[in-house]
Amino acid sequence: MALIERLQRRASDWGLLPRLLQLLPRLAIISGIIGFAWLAVYLPLEGEFRRTYISENALMPSQAYSYFRETEWNLLRGYRTQVKDLVNKHSDERNGILGSWLEEIGVKTAIHHDPENRDTLYGVWNAPRGDGTEAMVLAAPWFNGDGEFNIGGVALATALTRFFSRWPLWSKNIIVVFSEDTRASLSSWCHAYHNNLDLTGGSIESAVVLDYPGTNDYFKYVEIFYAGLNGELPNLDLVNVAVHVTEHEGMKVSLNGAPESEIGEDDYPGRMQKMLLGIRKMALAGVQTCYGNEAFSGYRIQSIVLRARGKEGPFDITTFGRVPEAVFRSVNNLLEKFHQSFFFYLLLAPRYFVSIASYLPAAVAYSAAFILASLDNFLKSNKHLPMGANAAFRISLNTATTFVGSFLASFFISQVFLQWQKPLALVLASGLLSLIPLFPTDIKLSLAQSHQLKSIAFSYLSVVLTSLLVVNFALAFGIGLLAFPMIFLANTVSPRTGIKNTALLVLTNPFICSCLFANIFESQLPNLEIISRLISAWKELGCWTWFLICIGWLPAWITVAISSLPAVFGQSVVDKTKPLDVDTDADADIKKLQ
Amino acid sequence: MRFESLCVWAFAAFAFGVGGNSIDDELIIPDETESAGSGDQTCSIFGTSASSQENIEMEQLNTSSIEENVNARTSSEIENAGIVLFENNSIVRYPFDEELTLKPLPRNFMLASFAFQMQSNNLTVGKSEVSHDAYRHYTVFPKSLSPILEYSQTRELHLRFTHGRWDAESWGQLPHNGTKSGGSGVELWAVIEAASRDEAFENWIMLTNSLSGLFCSSINFINMEKTTYPVHSFQSSDQQPIPIFDTSKKAYLLRAALANEPICTENLTPFLKLLPTRGRSGISSLLDGHKVFDSNWHSLSMDVETVCDGDTCQYHMDANIEMVFNVQNSLARAENPIPKPLGDAELQCDESKPHNAWECFPLPQSKHIKFRLSELFGKKVVGSNLISENPSKVCAQVSDSWTVYLDIGDSLFSTDDNCFAIRDNELHDLHFQSDDTAHVVKSDDVPLFVSRSLTGYGQDGGGLRAVFRNPNNVTVDAIYFESLPWYMRLYLSSLEIESEDGLEIGDVIKSTFYLPAIDRQRPTHLEFNISIPAHTTVALSYQFSKALLKYAEYPPDANHGFEIESALITVLRPIRSEMRTATLLLSLSTPDFSMPYNVIILTSTVMGLAFGTLFNLMVKKLVTVEEADRKAAAKRSIKAQLIEYLARLKTNGNKTNQEKKRQ
Repeated sequence: MALIERLQRRASDWGLLPRLLQLLPRLAIISGIIGFAWLAVYLPLEGEFRRTYISENALMPSQAYSYFRETEWNLLRGYRTQVKDLVNKHSDERNGILGSWLEEIGVKTAIHHDPENRDTLYGVWNAPRGDGTEAMVLAAPWFNGDGEFNIGGVALATALTRFFSRWPLWSKNIIVVFSEDTRASLSSWCHAYHNNLDLTGGSIESAVVLDYPGTNDYFKYVEIFYAGLNGELPNLDLVNVAVHVTEHEGMKVSLNGAPESEIGEDDYPGRMQKMLLGIRKMALAGVQTCYGNEAFSGYRIQSIVLRARGKEGPFDITTFGRVPEAVFRSVNNLLEKFHQSFFFYLLLAPRYFVSIASYLPAAVAYSAAFILASLDNFLKSNKHLPMGANAAFRISLNTATTFVGSFLASFFISQVFLQWQKPLALVLASGLLSLIPLFPTDIKLSLAQSHQLKSIAFSYLSVVLTSLLVVNFALAFGIGLLAFPMIFLANTVSPRTGIKNTALLVLTNPFICSCLFANIFESQLPNLEIISRLISAWKELGCWTWFLICIGWLPAWITVAISSLPAVFGQSVVDKTKPLDVDTDADADIKKLQ
Repeated sequence: MRFESLCVWAFAAFAFGVGGNSIDDELIIPDETESAGSGDQTCSIFGTSASSQENIEMEQLNTSSIEENVNARTSSEIENAGIVLFENNSIVRYPFDEELTLKPLPRNFMLASFAFQMQSNNLTVGKSEVSHDAYRHYTVFPKSLSPILEYSQTRELHLRFTHGRWDAESWGQLPHNGTKSGGSGVELWAVIEAASRDEAFENWIMLTNSLSGLFCSSINFINMEKTTYPVHSFQSSDQQPIPIFDTSKKAYLLRAALANEPICTENLTPFLKLLPTRGRSGISSLLDGHKVFDSNWHSLSMDVETVCDGDTCQYHMDANIEMVFNVQNSLARAENPIPKPLGDAELQCDESKPHNAWECFPLPQSKHIKFRLSELFGKKVVGSNLISENPSKVCAQVSDSWTVYLDIGDSLFSTDDNCFAIRDNELHDLHFQSDDTAHVVKSDDVPLFVSRSLTGYGQDGGGLRAVFRNPNNVTVDAIYFESLPWYMRLYLSSLEIESEDGLEIGDVIKSTFYLPAIDRQRPTHLEFNISIPAHTTVALSYQFSKALLKYAEYPPDANHGFEIESALITVLRPIRSEMRTATLLLSLSTPDFSMPYNVIILTSTVMGLAFGTLFNLMVKKLVTVEEADRKAAAKRSIKAQLIEYLARLKTNGNKTNQEKKRQ
């Protein structure tokens, strides 16, 4: 103990603790910067990521010769010509005709009726030698994520089913699903499968969604999408198998829709870009265009989307078909479950990944930044606390009620806007609330009060981020990064700082910030589209992002916004008579509580 | 390792059984002739097969048959063996019957049912095998089975090995109305005579362990956790009372199933060994593991019953091997084991749709078919069984669109009812030909369609949902039997019914027998008496929560889930029949087994920190810094102390050295 004692005394001699406490705001900022740098700068460095490998030996991708070729192409073309004729038909008629083909193959078919989200045709092909307890899904939505008629995909799924039915080697049942779209109807089928469908084929282990719009015979490269909802990822082994098989067939792989020109870029910026693209895709899964794998999230189903891109190129449609063939044969080999340690990863390239232990510090750094900022504010508020237990208690009480009020208001907003979809009102109200620092100066907070409010807001945010960072790393990181400027808010009365504070509040408002982000980075989500998509993602797919933003981020922001009311030194003089002229539900609630 | 040793055990048992059971052994003792043919017949056989040279040869052949099954000899060798064996047996008659029924099913499937029936000699009632010094005499009844039944006091034994899915919607009723097939995996039930339930259970364990060795399967894994005592289900259909040898005892019905047991050649070989023909002649010569287990559905069943007439009792045994082939696929596989893409010329395209060198919409499967039985099974029937009262029979249940010929040495025969008796040692084959394969003999209507699935997706709970569909015009009364492992904690209170016709639970479930599970001791045992009105579909569902297992209770290999055995539905009205649902795969939350290590380390750290702090607070004195400094100055430093100590050691050492030198 002597050594520690000596160190401690040396530290107290130097006044290390007070100095550190003084440095807290700077430490918080440094921590935030480290968080971003860790992920974007450090991880893509050579040596910080690993090459992917197949963890489960039984998978053995591409170890067997793929036979989906030669005359299978003729059959595929035969089906495709017929599918092409179905383009303009009603879904009942389409499902009827396709169902009859499947029955002919020997597949038991049924239609899942869902009045809200259209009907879904599906078929179960029972493995002749399997025990029928497990299944693999091959899905081909009639319309793909971009709204194109999935002619090639549907024809391919039918031809593959016929091809599969001739093989005796299956140990798992094969389920083919033809949903109307990649979003609500596929998700509704998946929900029904786990609840009340009469025709079932056992627990689903994996799902492959085929996306091949158009009648072109040839295509250029394959896109793989894997990010599931709510931070869920398919087992890396499945992605690895798909990548391995695709590259084995000679095709190029692009992950998460990275443009073709960037395929194969194995340099530092390329890796960084692809990783950040992957994180964006994960954080916005369900909100962005869904290609189909998102529908299987939450049911312990490993799912990926295979998309054929380009209208012409060196590869024909049967080459594309050999990818699901080989993936199915690999998954069929599984006697166990997918390895449990392979669910948390970031991909920097089709064959490079970083594991959870390497990337987690990035999100942890943001939680740390907020907890440091919270500590700093807490200490500062203690410094400014007025003498007398009564006054101090009143300040604490005010803080608590304000925070609880913000929380309830946020919850209220999250519920109201689910029904009353007016994103513009939400953004405008947020903008108005951001003007708080510029309010007439007769509403004033004591400095202690202001610091205390920030302290509680930041610690809340930190708790939210910490609990989220393993479950949904991308979202935790995203919220941490975007809400980070909040810690720069200063308490002064000068109008210049007021403007700066307003700008910071606007920047860190969950809704304005999401819209700004979407408009800069996501061309599919222009204007205020992202807010309505967040809401529909919850309604159609069960994606929590809307609630995480509303209940995790918004209460902290509202509390911080209130704390940035022009502050005075000394006693709190919260004006209770003069109403605030901001007409949001949130404000109304806060007023009442105050 | 365990399995291997089991098999070794079983092979040894067979070798012994075969050795002791060879034909001349049986024939030397002309005892208990009632069931073993008439006395003079037996004598005559004794007379004709007297050549000792030949007997030795036969024995060698018999013992070598074990390897033979492993190495799968060619049919010609077996044929030769058959001729040597049964050359001169034409007169002997034993209570053994065998029949093969072939029945085309829709969509080019074909059901092959092998039925074997045999009877034992008279049993000595009331005396145990050990105390009884009379000869035990076995003729066609398997010698390996009889002592097991006797030791374990088993009066009725039913064993099922089933695998695959019976497509009731297309194939209709199961063969024998489902009474001869089990759920996927192994299913075993027996009536055991015992003084108490405990004794019955002891006998049951003895029985399962013996059968496990006999059939090379994990039946010995049946324990308390898996055994149920069915109340309404599994009752024998015939009204005969179960014979009780000791009137002070009672009969107990015990039942268990192993859903995760893979059925394979290792189970078929012992099965064939139970037959007097041993798979060498008669219809059983067709049975080959490669073909049986390449079928879409197969079932091996064995039923032994004790039948008493007055004081004389006998074992009656039914053995059935049934399988469903896809004829087209099997024929194609015989030609080319890998289903490669067809050649351009072989493609059959729909002419009404665009078709050319690049494009082809496939035609439905051809309705014309012509094949031989030997193409399906890979061999021909090697003569009749030659020991039975009746010759082996092969029947084809076909409609008018089919023609069936019996082929003996390239000459074809046909009969009106398409049943053929196989009479001698020659190779028999069957020719099938049809212009319309879809036209088949209609199977019996299925009284009820049942399917069961797991619902939910959580790690902590889930639901079971069974769907009953009655397609007929009459109300169906049935018993739904379910035995669920204890780690599925069932909530019967959550029982719900889904019905489009507005049926209530009370309308469907007439009575319930429910025995809740006890952890690690007893499975959930559930029997519903249900009644499904005509043309209705009803879904029953209930919830369960998943228990956490102790870490050693997880299967040793990486976990894939726990199979839940099939539910049994015994239809009582309008016709008596049985059917089973598919098995299910339950995934329990599997801990990351490396996690305890992390947990231990973290907990220890936290405990250590807490203890250290508390300990410091308790034993240390709180002083100001100045005071501490003063004390520290007064105290010599460690370095000084150390130097002093070393110095002292040195001087001491010198002293001792000097003393040593002096000495």
